[in-house]
Amino acid sequence: MALLKREEWQGFVRDVDWTYSYVDDEAVFPEWHSGTGKVPREAWLGWEEDYKVTYPDYVATQRDKEQSAYAVKAALQRSTTFDHLDEGWKSSTKMHFGGVALVEYAAVLGELKMARFGLNAAWRNMAAFGQLDELRHAQITTFFGHEFIKKDPQYDWTQKTFHMDNWVPISLRNLFDGMMIAPNVVDLAIALPFTFETGFTNLQFVALASDALEAGDVNFANMISSIQTDEARHSQQGGPTMEILVEHDPVRAQWIIDKNFWGSARAFAALTGPAMDYYTPLEHRKQSYREFMEEWIVDQFVHTIEDYGLKKPWFWDEFMRGLDTWHHGLHMGLWFWRPTVWWRPKAAVSKDERDWLREKYPNWEKVYGDKWDVIIDNINANNVEATLPETLPWLCSMCNLPCCNAVQTRSGRWRIPTWQLDYDGKTHHFCTNACRQIWWKDRDNVNHETLIDRFLAGQIQPMDVGGILAHMGLTPEVMGDDPDYEAWTRDYVGRPAAGLALATGAGED
Amino acid sequence: MPETVELGPEDQAPQLVPLNAIFADDFVQVLVPVTTADTIREVAAAVAHHVEGKRVRAKDAEKIVFHKGRRLAPELTVAEAGIGPLDHVRVEYDLSKGAR
Repeated sequence: MALLKREEWQGFVRDVDWTYSYVDDEAVFPEWHSGTGKVPREAWLGWEEDYKVTYPDYVATQRDKEQSAYAVKAALQRSTTFDHLDEGWKSSTKMHFGGVALVEYAAVLGELKMARFGLNAAWRNMAAFGQLDELRHAQITTFFGHEFIKKDPQYDWTQKTFHMDNWVPISLRNLFDGMMIAPNVVDLAIALPFTFETGFTNLQFVALASDALEAGDVNFANMISSIQTDEARHSQQGGPTMEILVEHDPVRAQWIIDKNFWGSARAFAALTGPAMDYYTPLEHRKQSYREFMEEWIVDQFVHTIEDYGLKKPWFWDEFMRGLDTWHHGLHMGLWFWRPTVWWRPKAAVSKDERDWLREKYPNWEKVYGDKWDVIIDNINANNVEATLPETLPWLCSMCNLPCCNAVQTRSGRWRIPTWQLDYDGKTHHFCTNACRQIWWKDRDNVNHETLIDRFLAGQIQPMDVGGILAHMGLTPEVMGDDPDYEAWTRDYVGRPAAGLALATGAGED
Repeated sequence: MPETVELGPEDQAPQLVPLNAIFADDFVQVLVPVTTADTIREVAAAVAHHVEGKRVRAKDAEKIVFHKGRRLAPELTVAEAGIGPLDHVRVEYDLSKGAR
């Protein structure tokens, strides 16, 4: 029997749907999963993806990608490339492996939800491919990270991170549970493929791949580039869903975009920002985090939402100002609370590095230089103890990241403002105005408790730094520390320094 | 007949009061536990302990505590000042008199 040509069957199989006779539509597509809301059910008949794919094509392409990625890995496994990578760059990869591997698995669940409850057969078909993509991403990321455990136990957090009640994964779970696990499929398609995968993953997978190549990490660049080719395909579930939603309920479309854009921007400031502007060796930095964000997120995002007749989010000015501050504050927090993370954050504030930071961020010295100078002087006074934490940073009730976003006051002084809210007998603190507003609008959501909430509720015992580190899953061989204090403090040795904390063992060698 | 006396804050056992605190020009708010019996001067010292000379250069000046827009008298206790659990306090150097 002759096989049908692809064009003779593709249109039929990509959109197989039928009318139910034994159950009603609501039983098959319940509102709490399918989420049509104000959109008439029949409007979803118009859903159509731009780039169509068949299963045979999909399998053939994916097989080639897998072969290629694993062939490079096998070849490099026999080389000494890894041993010569900069510790800062290795930290970027540890953050990525731990922060991403199981988010990819959460995305499998999100895609499966769309594959089951999407309101058009072609959408469900695309989501089925999407979940195969995400499964591959979870596997390849976990596998590539696993190889390095024998060389460095911090890579064990590739798989471990998401199972830990560490403040970083709590923050990520809060974001991605809200984006992929909790929402109905319409909101999910706007949150994940439209907002997150169309913009933010580009930053992590394309821009970071470029930094990886510069840093000599061909294996990592190869892995994330391989993943990115899938994102480009399955992220197109966002567009057709958006077209239909925006026609019938633009207010809902705007809100879903706004809150997911904000949450994504906060998470990227914590993980991608320090990797680009501090951990990547100076000579290998292509652009600053701000420049990457402007090129890959800001321009594209604004064009995209305007194409759909939507507005810039209400927080736009606060977001844009944050490009100069958020990730610098978070970097300082990650460094100061370095025993709480599974990588080795390097401060990267030598004179040359500060010149670069000042060039890219004209206010950097004024906002952060004074704090780093005190830290540097303590290191050079052999008082490392004064640079280690004895309490927790306050974590935002919305994004779960430290409240560390400096804002310039009318007097010109840069300060950390307080954004608080009393609700239901409890005081909540937020890192930003927009985090507070999103929390308020979504206050009936079940948000994750912050580490501060857990600590104050007595869930962490003993209630001291040791108890906190144990609760977060940090073991001595994994606990983060600066990989090379001298690299960024030697420029300042011998300068006069006043106003430092006294070492507990002052006077001892 | 014995007289009933209402107990004031000073008669009660000290209660833990976890605060959201910022010290001067520091870059982050931190968790600082104090008690209802601590004085405002002690609150200032407790907050400063995590930051002064560690991220903000120490100044030879008095430290003052602001709570809900009010400057608090240093001899008040936390209970008397009306500072409750999870409240925000800001600790600043009093530079009006000039750093010594």
